[in-house]
Amino acid sequence: MRQLPSGVFASTYLQDAALIRTGKQWLALGVLLAAVALVPIVLGPRYANIGNNMFILAVVVTGLQLTLGYAGQVNLAQAAFMGVGAFTAASLANHWALPFIVILPAAGLAAALFGLLFGLAAVRIKGFYMALTTITAQFVFHFAVINLPASWFGAANGLKVPPAQLFGLSFSSDVGLYYLNGVVAAGMIAFALGIARSRFGRAFVAVRDDDVAAGMVGINVVQIKALAFMVGTFYAGVGGALWAYYIRFVGAEQFTLFNSIWMIAMLIVGGMGSIVGGLFGVVVIAGLQELVTSLGPQLAELAPELGGQIVFASMNVLLGLLIALFLILEPKGLMHRWQLIKFSLRIWPFPH
Amino acid sequence: MPKISRRKALSAAAGLGAMALPLRAMAATAAYNIAGLADYSGPFADIMKPVIAGRDAIIKWWSTEVGAGLGVALQAKNYDTRYDAAQSASLWPGIRSELNPICSLGVGSVDATALADRYAEAKVVSIQSGATATNSWVPDSWVLYYRATYAHETAPFFGWIYEKEGRKTPIKVAVISSEAAPAFVDMAKGIQAVAAQLGQIQVVELIWDAVQPVDLTSQVRRIVSAGAEYIVIQTNTAAVVAAKRALQALNAKIPIVTTSHNGMLASGKAVGGVAQMEGDFEVHSMVMPTDDAPQKKLYDLLKSKYGLNQPWGVLAAQGMSQGALAVRGIEAAVRKFGPADLSGDKIRTAMLSTPLEGRDGMLPTVTFDRSAPFPTSGLTANVATIKGGAYTVAARDLPVPNLKKW
Repeated sequence: MRQLPSGVFASTYLQDAALIRTGKQWLALGVLLAAVALVPIVLGPRYANIGNNMFILAVVVTGLQLTLGYAGQVNLAQAAFMGVGAFTAASLANHWALPFIVILPAAGLAAALFGLLFGLAAVRIKGFYMALTTITAQFVFHFAVINLPASWFGAANGLKVPPAQLFGLSFSSDVGLYYLNGVVAAGMIAFALGIARSRFGRAFVAVRDDDVAAGMVGINVVQIKALAFMVGTFYAGVGGALWAYYIRFVGAEQFTLFNSIWMIAMLIVGGMGSIVGGLFGVVVIAGLQELVTSLGPQLAELAPELGGQIVFASMNVLLGLLIALFLILEPKGLMHRWQLIKFSLRIWPFPH
Repeated sequence: MPKISRRKALSAAAGLGAMALPLRAMAATAAYNIAGLADYSGPFADIMKPVIAGRDAIIKWWSTEVGAGLGVALQAKNYDTRYDAAQSASLWPGIRSELNPICSLGVGSVDATALADRYAEAKVVSIQSGATATNSWVPDSWVLYYRATYAHETAPFFGWIYEKEGRKTPIKVAVISSEAAPAFVDMAKGIQAVAAQLGQIQVVELIWDAVQPVDLTSQVRRIVSAGAEYIVIQTNTAAVVAAKRALQALNAKIPIVTTSHNGMLASGKAVGGVAQMEGDFEVHSMVMPTDDAPQKKLYDLLKSKYGLNQPWGVLAAQGMSQGALAVRGIEAAVRKFGPADLSGDKIRTAMLSTPLEGRDGMLPTVTFDRSAPFPTSGLTANVATIKGGAYTVAARDLPVPNLKKW
């Protein structure tokens, strides 16, 4: 249940459904958007590229949040679905020179169709069995890309991707892509927030909590499970297309099981069942990865007596340790902690 | 004391000043940065130290012993890419703003493909450390390699056997690889291309297995039944160990042909002793790191004076060769355009228009052109084997043939 500041009441359904209810919330959103928009100008293209990576991950992890966090359908192959989108985008851009605005949804749809196969499997199986089934998606994707005719997806050689074209503009610079990825990510997140508050979102949660009970109250469980997979993998496909335009090359080795596991780690750290929580996870994990790769060489340079290998091994251990600490100390994720802090502030000075 | 007029004194001072100008210009050293990409925390972290130490030492050595005379000083700084495409792309703008590098030293195909367009836009030439992957085999590339593909390197070995044995029929070859990584698929397809294009070998069996196979007995039985005379394994040491164990179990003696990263010493160590690799081969374009190799003298110099604190081996040689191609390119550019205002564009132009030779001795004199990212003439392959339980060079400087892209 959302806690609102004292004195804020909804008097219409529209107000009740609104995501942003107060002037201060609008102000906070405006400040956040302005800060995000200023990153490349103030901090430079290096940070713009960190942002690019986070925007793309935000789209993909939001999709996973809908499938796993909201609908409770285990998906250990989100990276593979992202790969389907990336290869679809690369193939369409290379063979038909289609514009970005057409390729983006097409990549999402291709991934959603691939995801639907596994969504249908989810009708009959769940839990560990479902997890194992989705792992097969990871391998099917890999072997399909490598063994399909090279003229389709480049086979083992992968595919180069031309710059995104939109309304006569070519997005070849990292800063240009930052704004493009940012706009797409913002749209996709807003859409996900809408889904989460819609009857579909409520059906997702009902199926997650108890699919038998959900069926008994009239929810079409088969349809909802399949839909959860389709929507989540659509997001992965869109993220994959953004990735293809960002890296400008797609290869099967870029979308591994290891990447899928990292995406689940982002959900766990941020908080399951919350769109914003997943975004917290993306920022924290991707930020830590950046920190580790930046800190390692600097430490090795500053303290050569430590020996490069010890420093770099420690960086990996540090990353793992931080994630483990999150899981031990805050298993409900950062979003839960954030909600508690907000709630405490709102009822302060009263204890509850 | 003779009296010197004010006019004479001024003239003398002006003359001395004029004489000193070119001397000052010669003494001034232009400093340039090189960006080193590394994998300190990713899948190749365990082998990165000797590679990086080798290339860093070559750059220091060249800067002191060659660059100083040419008026050029080089400084390298390494960045951790985790062998990850996103991390490589993310780091690049920061590297450019921090170093403004004239050259980048890459790790492998992941950073090469992720940064290929970015190198071209920034006009920074990149020198890679491994063999060329087919996805990087494009014309007009800004990413250059000192080695061609694994298939290019293996072809002269079979040509050498073919000639040595006076063969009239193709050598029957089996390949063990894995579909788990596109690079491994590329290796196997390369051997098939060598068979199709040169006709000296015939691939009688192609085994796709796991990246780290545990048991290959049934697969090797098929290879034996197919009458294979050699087994080519270019994936890793685990595959060599599994194939060796299978051959021993089947009491079959078929020589295994490996490459640099799964060579005789590494695979011998994994299998329980190099003596078990008796009669097997290691083939690649790099120096075979034997103690009597002429390049060992350079290694010893780098170790004693330039901080190369890693053992003499194929990995140190890999880094040294990568550094050697980079400094050769820079040297060619300095000789062509002068030491001032050196740029990646000038280095690339010099590399593509000048035969690259150097006093390092790590590579033969090689020539690049715009058709491929690796030298199109001058490349050679070396062959090492285990003979009498010792790691020895079987053949040196076998010319690498030209192959069509597969």
